[in-house]
Amino acid sequence: MHFAYSALQAILNGILTGSLYALIGMGMALIFGVMRIVNFAHGAFLMLGMYVTYALFLRPGLNPYIAFLVAGLFLFIFGYLVYMGLLRPIRGHTDFMDILMTMGLSLILIDGVQLIFGADYHQINIPLLSKNIHFGPQISLNAPWLVSFVIALVCALLLYYVVMHTMFGRAARAIAQNRYSAPLVGINVNRVQGIAFGIGAAAAGMAGGLLLPVFYLYPEVGNQFKLKSFVMVVLGGMGSIQGAAVAGIVLGVVESLTSLYWGNEWALAVDFVIFILVLSFRPNGLFGSQRV
Amino acid sequence: MSRTTTLCLAFLAFLLLPVMGCRSGSGGNSNTIKIGVITSLTGSNAAFGQAHKNGYAIALNEINAKGGVLGKQVELDYYDDQSKPDQAVQGVSKLVDQDKVAMVLGAYSSESTRAIVPVLTQKQVSLIIPTAVADNVMETGSQWVFRICAGSGSFATATLDFLKNNGDPRNMAIVYENTNFGQSNNKSMTEAATKAGLNLVDSEGYQASSPDYKGLLQRVKGKNPDVIYFASYLLDASTLMRQSEQVGLNPRYYTSAGTGFAAAEFPTQDKGAGKYAEYTYSVSQWLPSAQWKGSKEFDDQYFKNTGTHPAYHAMEAYAVLLTAVAAINNAKSTDATAIRDSLRNINLTDTPFGPVKFDAKGQNAHPVLVTQVQNGQYKVVWPQSAAEAKPVIPTPAWSERP
Repeated sequence: MHFAYSALQAILNGILTGSLYALIGMGMALIFGVMRIVNFAHGAFLMLGMYVTYALFLRPGLNPYIAFLVAGLFLFIFGYLVYMGLLRPIRGHTDFMDILMTMGLSLILIDGVQLIFGADYHQINIPLLSKNIHFGPQISLNAPWLVSFVIALVCALLLYYVVMHTMFGRAARAIAQNRYSAPLVGINVNRVQGIAFGIGAAAAGMAGGLLLPVFYLYPEVGNQFKLKSFVMVVLGGMGSIQGAAVAGIVLGVVESLTSLYWGNEWALAVDFVIFILVLSFRPNGLFGSQRV
Repeated sequence: MSRTTTLCLAFLAFLLLPVMGCRSGSGGNSNTIKIGVITSLTGSNAAFGQAHKNGYAIALNEINAKGGVLGKQVELDYYDDQSKPDQAVQGVSKLVDQDKVAMVLGAYSSESTRAIVPVLTQKQVSLIIPTAVADNVMETGSQWVFRICAGSGSFATATLDFLKNNGDPRNMAIVYENTNFGQSNNKSMTEAATKAGLNLVDSEGYQASSPDYKGLLQRVKGKNPDVIYFASYLLDASTLMRQSEQVGLNPRYYTSAGTGFAAAEFPTQDKGAGKYAEYTYSVSQWLPSAQWKGSKEFDDQYFKNTGTHPAYHAMEAYAVLLTAVAAINNAKSTDATAIRDSLRNINLTDTPFGPVKFDAKGQNAHPVLVTQVQNGQYKVVWPQSAAEAKPVIPTPAWSERP
């Protein structure tokens, strides 16, 4: 019986963590799906979101569960400007240039934040952190994780709605299907791509804000999430946002079960074993390819 | 000016930068003696690096107020390794090659210290280690390395000694951060516990930057150990204890290899585990209440400077600088070999950190205490001769705590 409970507990914890992964992965998938840009700055966007939330928590003392929205807005504008200023001019050359550009941007952001805030680790302490919600004697969930989960779920559904049911979403999907015929039907490709890039960055930024209460903050914090988001994009089918969302949850649960049964050190290794296996045997992702 | 010329000039300026830095560094002021310090002022171990810095500052003030050494003022030359071993190695080059320091003190972590030991040995400059407890930093056979603190082997022995005389539990699980510090403590404890006849039910390594240890802790819970022995830094220690409550992990003893569990910040609400630190045991090398002469004065001065009370990391930095200056004084020179030989023969009988004397391997025999957090304070509970309080055994279950 203990066995079943501990597995259930691990799965629930995995889903909570996975929901944040899902939000990060959806942002990455949107950018990859619409623009075929492998965004190496995605981790840095997440880190920026965390620092924005942190700065707002310090100065006006804003609750991180409100401040993350500001982080999202900030990252949206920032992402849009990055696309328009840095990425659009080099589009149409090789994919390699996008990779180098986002990688360079990532280094600048990380080192820039390090210059301003220093390389120190920071942690915030909110009263919610010590609240656990018990379900029977065996199962308990930590309140901030639960709150983050609910918010991440809402954000993910919203993102899904925007992509599937709005004019912008239809335009974005049209570009994803054929970047050259889209302008023929009157789609402003640059603007739509800029907005898509902004939304992708905002998703990472909001996830960062939601992570802040339960994690620590340092300039290189985004790197581990960047790697995970690559795994999610591949697992979810190379640019499908719903695929990436499911992949995020899968990743969270797999990591949680791995550290329960094999040990914490194996969690990251298992992520990448999955990554390599999927790339080798199911290159279109676990759920088949359906871009954006 | 053409673009090419500008570029060339910029490039030249870039090349010259280190040379210019060198000039201003090594030329220096001949009225001072420079001692290099490598520690972690930023990065994940910044809390400990700052403690180092506060400890060094007090020692430096005292020394220079008394006229310095060999008629010169002492100057500390800091290098921040950002909590990264590769940066610590770069620090050695900077301090030794450019700044020509007389000797080096540091680093903070075992990981960084292990990285700089061979470099300093090769450059033939003495290193005194304040806080790195991994025993492998002393196992290279280097003639240039001295350590003032007790090592992971002594931590394990002291913890087992305490346990044997306080309930004699049978099962132990080890949870350690997976770099040199944790690995070394895992190894030492595994050997010592097996020898003492304890049943090791689990040994779990983890990555210190992970947000979630709940899976790991659940796994430990499943093994049902009487004792958990943690080897953790500060942020991971806080997260581990908070999440131990979340998964309802209730061993009879939460013991630890000091460090994060002994940091001044650990029992505080803002920067540590707060109430989750309560009842955890830790090995300790020094406390403000220590009997050694000068401990109280150090505590007072530290509190005056920083508004907080020091943990042993700050004292170890303080003691290391006292030792370094005493060695230069005895050597009557800043020659590297003379300083090393002087360190070999050093015999300080009454520092606030206790006696300092290095054995043939460069190790100082320093006693280890066991403390327990009680009402947010570290209280010595072992050995009996130094105990300030009785240990609370067993650790109250999370559900029974207020």
